[in-house]
Amino acid sequence: MESLLNGFEAFQRYYLNWQIIKETTPLLLKTLPIVGELLVLSMFFAFLLGLILSLMRLSRVRVFRWFAGAYVDFFRGLPLLLNFVFVYSGLAIVGAASGLRFLILPSIPAAVLSLSTTYAAYSAEVFRAGIESIHRGQMEAARSLGMTYPQSMRYVVLPQAIKVVIPPLTNEFIALIKDTSLASVISVQELLFTAKEKMGVVANPTPLMVAAFVYVLFTIPLIRLASRLEKKREGSSKGAKPTDGSTGKTSAPVLTDVATQLPKGGGLG
Amino acid sequence: MSSEVMIELKGVHKNYGTLEVLRGIDLQITKSEVVVVIGPSGSGKSTMLRCMNALEPIQKGTIIIEGIDITNPKTNVNKVRQKIGMVFQSFNLFPHKSAIENVMLAPLKVLKKSRSEAETIARDLLVTVGLSEKADAYPDQLSGGQQQRVAIARALAMQPDMMLFDEVTSALDPELVAEVLNVMKELALGGMTMVVVTHEMGFAREVGTRMIFMDGGVIVEESDPREMIANPKEERTKKFLGMVL
Repeated sequence: MESLLNGFEAFQRYYLNWQIIKETTPLLLKTLPIVGELLVLSMFFAFLLGLILSLMRLSRVRVFRWFAGAYVDFFRGLPLLLNFVFVYSGLAIVGAASGLRFLILPSIPAAVLSLSTTYAAYSAEVFRAGIESIHRGQMEAARSLGMTYPQSMRYVVLPQAIKVVIPPLTNEFIALIKDTSLASVISVQELLFTAKEKMGVVANPTPLMVAAFVYVLFTIPLIRLASRLEKKREGSSKGAKPTDGSTGKTSAPVLTDVATQLPKGGGLG
Repeated sequence: MSSEVMIELKGVHKNYGTLEVLRGIDLQITKSEVVVVIGPSGSGKSTMLRCMNALEPIQKGTIIIEGIDITNPKTNVNKVRQKIGMVFQSFNLFPHKSAIENVMLAPLKVLKKSRSEAETIARDLLVTVGLSEKADAYPDQLSGGQQQRVAIARALAMQPDMMLFDEVTSALDPELVAEVLNVMKELALGGMTMVVVTHEMGFAREVGTRMIFMDGGVIVEESDPREMIANPKEERTKKFLGMVL
């Protein structure tokens, strides 16, 4: 009995030390603007580049298809951590040796570049699947009205594909939140970096527990949201005839939902 | 009736891999004709229609629309398609747009008309197809017959010189077929050049000016619809009509 009590006390002292929690929390909250900056910039560039890559992959121009395919394969197969180290340290060594100073990136731009290039590959696959899920008749109807391929994509296919890709893109966003922690290895003063530093100072892992709590505080609601959106989509597509490809009204609320929910995730900063 | 040639097919061959779908089609359609195309499934009638506005590329032959060779790679098919309205079996309305927005889209983006101009055109056309009160409804709030009438209005919004109808009543419940056929009949009476792939023999007899029977990727027989339905000449035509009538 005595030893069990001792064990519990030890657990609390090392993992949930109240004094350390009080000291760490404000330190970690101060890193949220940096995490937010990483997230918003990386998401913007990743989704933009991902959309362009997916369109290239579906293009009739063979060079575009080849390039986008090679890009997606390469970055999906590459460890993200290696990408971070390469962009930050690898490029800097070449930059210093050759005098090409623009290769020497500060840590935050380096982190954004690593995250965007990799997540562009992930989201390109999501966009491609979304575009391919739109019935061929939609493109044919648009083309038969005299619209060009880009016009048909922009006004007919993409607006429908966007609704399809929102749940899987939410999942990508959740993964992105977690992967911002990799920026700690290139000294970006984000959550994990700061928690680790504090852990060293107090010789106690409680700061890691605080950081873990902050991560799940943001990710769990998004995980819930993503699975709700997925269920909603399944429900709405069930009633629609496969021939007319209509997903119409029922999926419209999905968009507004996300519009109100996303800033919570993005609002880390 | 003017004899201006609207659509001309010369020796058209089309294949998917080794499967030959069209095996030498020669056809001339003049202004204000209503050509009804019939034939068993797999005879190539829908494919022929889709070739007429270059939705399907062909391997051999020439297709000329109002004097323009659309099989020439230098031709801007987008320009030619503006003059050819097409209506599909599966409607293919844009589900994220209301009925009126479906009709307005091409005038806005292709003809670069102003919003108010496009809206006037669209409202008039919805009146024509009898759906003025459904202007703001979305496709999934409309019946199949209503969706198909919106699709016809959408095609007419480009003020086409000819219309292609690809089994437009085949996906409809029987009681909704008439409302679509009536709209088509009005169009025909207005002098629209039409090519209609259909199994509706009543419509063919009443509205068609010429009937074409296709089988195995060729035109087997063509004549006046009443004449063909009453006295088919070819064995295959007799057999087919015997099954559908």
